[in-house]
Amino acid sequence: MIVGGYRIELEPRLKSPRWLVYVVPVVSLLFAFVVAGIFLLGTGHNPFTTYGKLIDKGYTSYYGITDTLGLATPLICTGLAAAFAFRMNLFNIGEEGQMYLGMIGAAWAGIVLADNLPGVAAVPVVMLSGAAFGALWVLVPAVLRARLGTSEIVSTLLLNYVALNLVNFLIFGSRTLWRDPSPFPDGQLVADSARLDRFGTTNVYPTLLIAAILAVFLWLFMRFSNYGYETSVFADSPNTARYAGMSASRLTVSVLLSSGALAGLAGSMYVVGPAGKVDPGLLQVGLGYAGIVVAALARYNFVAVILTAVLFAGLRVGGAALQISSDPVPIAIATVIQGAVLLFALGGEMFRKNRLRVRRIAGSPVRGAA
Amino acid sequence: MNSNIWLITFADAISIATPLILASLGAMLTERSGVINLGVEGYLLMGAVTAFQLGMGFGNVWLSVFAPILVGVVMALVHGALVISLRANQIVSGLAMVIFGTGLSQFLGKSVEGERRPVSIEPIDFGRLSDIPFIGPVIFGHDPLTYFTWALTIVASLYLNRTRPGLVLRATGDAPATVDAQGVSVTAVRYIHTVVGGALMAFAGSWFMLARGTAWSQESTTNGIGWIALALVVFAAWRPLRAILGAVLFGFTLQVPFTLQAQQINVVAPEMVKMLPYLATLFVLVALSTPRARRLLGAPKMLGIPFVRDER
Amino acid sequence: MNASPEAVKGSHRSGGATLFALSARSVTKRFPGVLANDDVDFDLAAGEVHTLLGENGAGKSTLASVLCGLYRPDQGAVLRNGTQVRLSSPRHGLQHGIAMVHQHFRLVDRFSVAENVVLGDKRLSFFIDQDSINDRVSRIAEEFGLPIDPLAVVGELSAGQRQRVEIIKALYQGAEILLLDEPTALLAPPEVEKLFETVRTMAKAGKSVVFVSHKLGEVVDISDRITVMRDGKVTGSVGRGEADTRKLAELMVGREIDLSPRKAKAPAGGTMLKLHNVSLHRDGVAVVDNVSLEVRAGEIVGVAGVSGNGQRDLAELVAGLQSPTGGVITVDGREMNGAGTREMRANGLAYVPEDRLGTGLSPSLSIIDNMVLTRPRGLLVDRKAAGAEAERYITELEIKTPSPHTATRKLSGGNSQKVLLAREIFAQSDTTKVLVVCSPTRGLDVGAVETVHKVLDEARTKGKAVLLISEDLDEVLTLADKILVLYRGAVVHSADSNALDIEKVGLAMAGIS
Repeated sequence: MIVGGYRIELEPRLKSPRWLVYVVPVVSLLFAFVVAGIFLLGTGHNPFTTYGKLIDKGYTSYYGITDTLGLATPLICTGLAAAFAFRMNLFNIGEEGQMYLGMIGAAWAGIVLADNLPGVAAVPVVMLSGAAFGALWVLVPAVLRARLGTSEIVSTLLLNYVALNLVNFLIFGSRTLWRDPSPFPDGQLVADSARLDRFGTTNVYPTLLIAAILAVFLWLFMRFSNYGYETSVFADSPNTARYAGMSASRLTVSVLLSSGALAGLAGSMYVVGPAGKVDPGLLQVGLGYAGIVVAALARYNFVAVILTAVLFAGLRVGGAALQISSDPVPIAIATVIQGAVLLFALGGEMFRKNRLRVRRIAGSPVRGAA
Repeated sequence: MNSNIWLITFADAISIATPLILASLGAMLTERSGVINLGVEGYLLMGAVTAFQLGMGFGNVWLSVFAPILVGVVMALVHGALVISLRANQIVSGLAMVIFGTGLSQFLGKSVEGERRPVSIEPIDFGRLSDIPFIGPVIFGHDPLTYFTWALTIVASLYLNRTRPGLVLRATGDAPATVDAQGVSVTAVRYIHTVVGGALMAFAGSWFMLARGTAWSQESTTNGIGWIALALVVFAAWRPLRAILGAVLFGFTLQVPFTLQAQQINVVAPEMVKMLPYLATLFVLVALSTPRARRLLGAPKMLGIPFVRDER
Repeated sequence: MNASPEAVKGSHRSGGATLFALSARSVTKRFPGVLANDDVDFDLAAGEVHTLLGENGAGKSTLASVLCGLYRPDQGAVLRNGTQVRLSSPRHGLQHGIAMVHQHFRLVDRFSVAENVVLGDKRLSFFIDQDSINDRVSRIAEEFGLPIDPLAVVGELSAGQRQRVEIIKALYQGAEILLLDEPTALLAPPEVEKLFETVRTMAKAGKSVVFVSHKLGEVVDISDRITVMRDGKVTGSVGRGEADTRKLAELMVGREIDLSPRKAKAPAGGTMLKLHNVSLHRDGVAVVDNVSLEVRAGEIVGVAGVSGNGQRDLAELVAGLQSPTGGVITVDGREMNGAGTREMRANGLAYVPEDRLGTGLSPSLSIIDNMVLTRPRGLLVDRKAAGAEAERYITELEIKTPSPHTATRKLSGGNSQKVLLAREIFAQSDTTKVLVVCSPTRGLDVGAVETVHKVLDEARTKGKAVLLISEDLDEVLTLADKILVLYRGAVVHSADSNALDIEKVGLAMAGIS
């Protein structure tokens, strides 16, 4: 780009300083707060007191932080789901729907199977059932992508709306085993053996540890295993993967199914944890979409997903507290911040990898943009 | 069952086709220049909330028609800055805009949730023309935005296929290096069409508040129409006129659940019927991904790939 | 800045009286780490055909790019008709009547010939009148003897025809000076002849042509003058009649080079690779058509042909990346039909694809990670062994890299080719019996070419069966013991290297038997 005799160019950094990796997300977050702050001001809220309250209710108070960790649990899983697929340039944006299916699958196992299982097996079976349902929900887009090259972006997204209506159908529009027999539409509770106890009086469940361990495991696995190696080759250069005899369709399908399973796991953690049933309340939270932001902000690093998930869960928890305070601020402010963080982080990421160079153009004034 | 009902459904389908056509025209122009903008859903919602809130504040219909365009321009400029100038990932940037737009429209619309719409655009009264069997209700009796959209589609088609800048635009999506070698700025072509595209998307959003919905409710405003519009671009093979046909077809699937509900036809649960448009869209996408269909469609070759001049 | 003539130092040719159509004076152009042009002078007379001769990396394309306005020189000046011009872009160059036809054509495949020609023409009316642009294009085509259908879709044209479109486009835009970058690289010999006719027609019409080439043999006849470059400097300039091939070669390379072919020194052994009536049909077209060939241990069989005549598909069939729709492939006596590439490799086959960085290597991955690409790997990747191996070959093959952890895309063409050869040829040399190598020296500088040829020659000496598929006829002639010509997927000519009729090979490459 040429502006008034100066050439402004983006050129790759040969070495990007290590500290920028940490600075970019932090600065993005600050900028996002500023942007959201402008809208807060515009709607007659004091941004400072609002943020003060948000931070207190989301992170610093005892029940704030524990609620945040509780909400972060499924969010870590949807974040891992997005990271797993996006790393391979497979843009699964159907985590939301896959998570609903995970909830349905987990509830099914919890209602139908759990009573017939030995106590220790109930929870694992319920969780795996949810993961399997989540994986199945992405099977069609995965196979289509592998066989025909159908864009997984739109297909996975469209299925979110189908999944949403499916949950509504199970709870409001029909009398299936997922629905409580009472006239009031609600989900049927799963067997007690299929549920985990919370830690003390908090909303934190042992599933938080499972999610964290899973993140670390995935990080190690993708770094050192042959499967991780093959996916990184495929992501970098599909032709090279083909040349080396790797099966593109097997990799594509397996990555998308794993991603779907991780999102499904988020849904089942909701069942074995706080909900205990198919709960239409989950439809309001948008943990699947947020997972994409969480993953992107973590730069698709599995371990970093834990941090960004906690960060975003806090925004959500704090936002919910704002909504019911004396000066109610719509909880959507949390989503605004999320979107803005991602936009800034995207821009910041490019500055991390590249740098702007402004050079005077030698010689006469230049005609036209080059 | 009443055949008249289906006629009305069809007429309604043509009506709801309007935002679909506008949004997919916007996406089409953007993609023709080689830029993907997945943010349609966010633009629609922002357009809708802007039209509604300004209507509440000023009660001026024209303001509610034109201001959303400005919002779309701003959003598209942000997208352009990220993906054209900074070469960020186009897919992620588009998604970010969906999330941002969804959140912000919800935030800004919260205070007026459930309120009746303050301004509206009413259907044109064609008098006796509307009484012509079949043609009357289907062609006549829509709102002015619908007719404007049809005209715009024809203009877009002419622009793309018959004009000098249209030729450059088509070349930019296919072979940016060639365009660059001609001394035409790829960056400028991409910015212009991304911005015009974004403006159209947000403009499409205002339709929901001005011509369709009677009250503001972010939840039920767009319902994934932005994503359907993106699929429509593929269906229309990146050609404006074909978007009309596709939009009516998709519009029909969107309208059927309402008709069934109004007629109290309960053979299938309403929740299941509501899946129809999304499943139909998915089905069409699949049908269009066969190698044969792909060749005929001809997506812009350099879609989604940032242009960097090869200067060692 | 004023545009008045500036004092410039004299040229090696003129006493200052001659006004050249285009000149470069003391042009210097640097790229990170490379001095591409070092104080270069160049003069082009009107109506002259002037060849810029040099090896890959000698700086001739850079000079051409400076002359057409694509690059701005760091120092020095470009003169048009004796007046200094500061070209800011190729578009600006065009305004001065200078146009460049690049080696990789800049055309829109989906557009018609006429649409391609007029693209970017700002004189055109807002609404395009198809008939009038077709007419105009036809008229130019006729004037210069460049027959072409203005309505033809460019994507369906041959390389020669596309080049014609590029030339018509340049003429349409009012070019007086045409710079042709490696214009014969993609053409069969008869098409080259046609191009030369066009060039002569243009010169007669008063246009000047700069021919950028590394093919010493073919430029002597067409050129009025040849300027030779090496390592970014001009090493000499000779007029028509003074050109002596041996002397030019020396100017190009800077030392006596061994132009003598490398051939097998020992008789070949048993048949290691055999193709019997192998075909591949795609969309009803035979892209590989009934090919039969044999490669024995200790020989190099060369497959020549113009780009796009089924070379890639043939290589992929042999490498097990595609399955033939007919015929039998035998490796070391075992029928391998339906075998995937991993089985092929397990049976002793190695494959060096033409596209080094996008196929043979994973560009963002490190040298270490690329070493294990075609190896059997366990559940975990053993990067320790791969690291040791990488270190060894970095030393042995003198691969220039900051570290074995460097991404291969950061390496130069020659160095990345060495990484690929290390993996495919050296690291498995005891188990490999058959080597399939595609255009291994494309885009490499002369030093690297020599290394690669030496490596292939050594592999032959060690008893490997080598199938060399190359679009560079000279390369095939230099190395191969047996030569086949591929045209539209079929073998249309075959000969032993000691009983070779070059003319026949050339005609066969153009599909004339």
